[in-house]
Amino acid sequence: MRTSLNEIKEIDDHVLKQAAPDEALLFEAKLIINPELKYQVMWHKQTLSLVHQYGRNNLRAEIEAVHQKLFSQPEHEGFRQKIMRLFRKR
Amino acid sequence: MAHEIVFDKPATQREKLITELYKSAFPTVAKYVSKMGGSFDDAKDVFQDALVIYYEKAVNGGLSLQSSEKAYLLGIAKHLWFKKFRDGGNNLPLDNCIEGFEITDEADEQPSTNKLMRYLETAGKKCMELLSAFYYHKLPMKEVAGLFGYAGERSATVQKYKCIEKVRETVKEQSLAYEDFIE
Repeated sequence: MRTSLNEIKEIDDHVLKQAAPDEALLFEAKLIINPELKYQVMWHKQTLSLVHQYGRNNLRAEIEAVHQKLFSQPEHEGFRQKIMRLFRKR
Repeated sequence: MAHEIVFDKPATQREKLITELYKSAFPTVAKYVSKMGGSFDDAKDVFQDALVIYYEKAVNGGLSLQSSEKAYLLGIAKHLWFKKFRDGGNNLPLDNCIEGFEITDEADEQPSTNKLMRYLETAGKKCMELLSAFYYHKLPMKEVAGLFGYAGERSATVQKYKCIEKVRETVKEQSLAYEDFIE
């Protein structure tokens, strides 16, 4: 891998706390020597956070799609009625 | 590109899982919410949030095997309902309910997150799919490689770092642009 990708791997391992003890120590030292690295770590965390949000948004869409199916397709009529009965009495 | 088809496998599995959970646990949750005076939409909101929490716990290996999934979902749903009731609002602050996802909050504070997300959903879709398969759905790298058509784990891993680099550049540009803006 090229150097910049190796650096990303090091940051990723640091953020996910997956670095081996000696590598973790070395990375801590690099953080002190190189102030720019702190920013890289910050941006990396933001990137993973966005990826997490992206995955969650998609999961939500998948859940909603299942909901729509269950509450519209004829084969789920029994299930649908069972649920709707709970909310009809008031 | 044959992605769309192979892509489907984990998505199909998730659909199956979600459908099963809906069928087994939603009636109980709906009954509870109804008993507490909530509407169908309340039950739906609470249940869907509970599903997200359940899924994230499951992929992160945080589920205890002592209780059934149905009991677990009902437990989360009750907790969410209680929160909703107590806070009196309609918004469930989902992110605050889950431990161990502190990085999520950080991005939420970024005012440009939504704009960034919309951009990434289009321009960086392939990378976001690959990255979320690995970091969100926690699929093993070997499976990710197969899904996205890479020769092996190693080339998929290299691609993963390339994708991080690409997305990170966008994030960086955005946050620098924002800094300029507030100065």
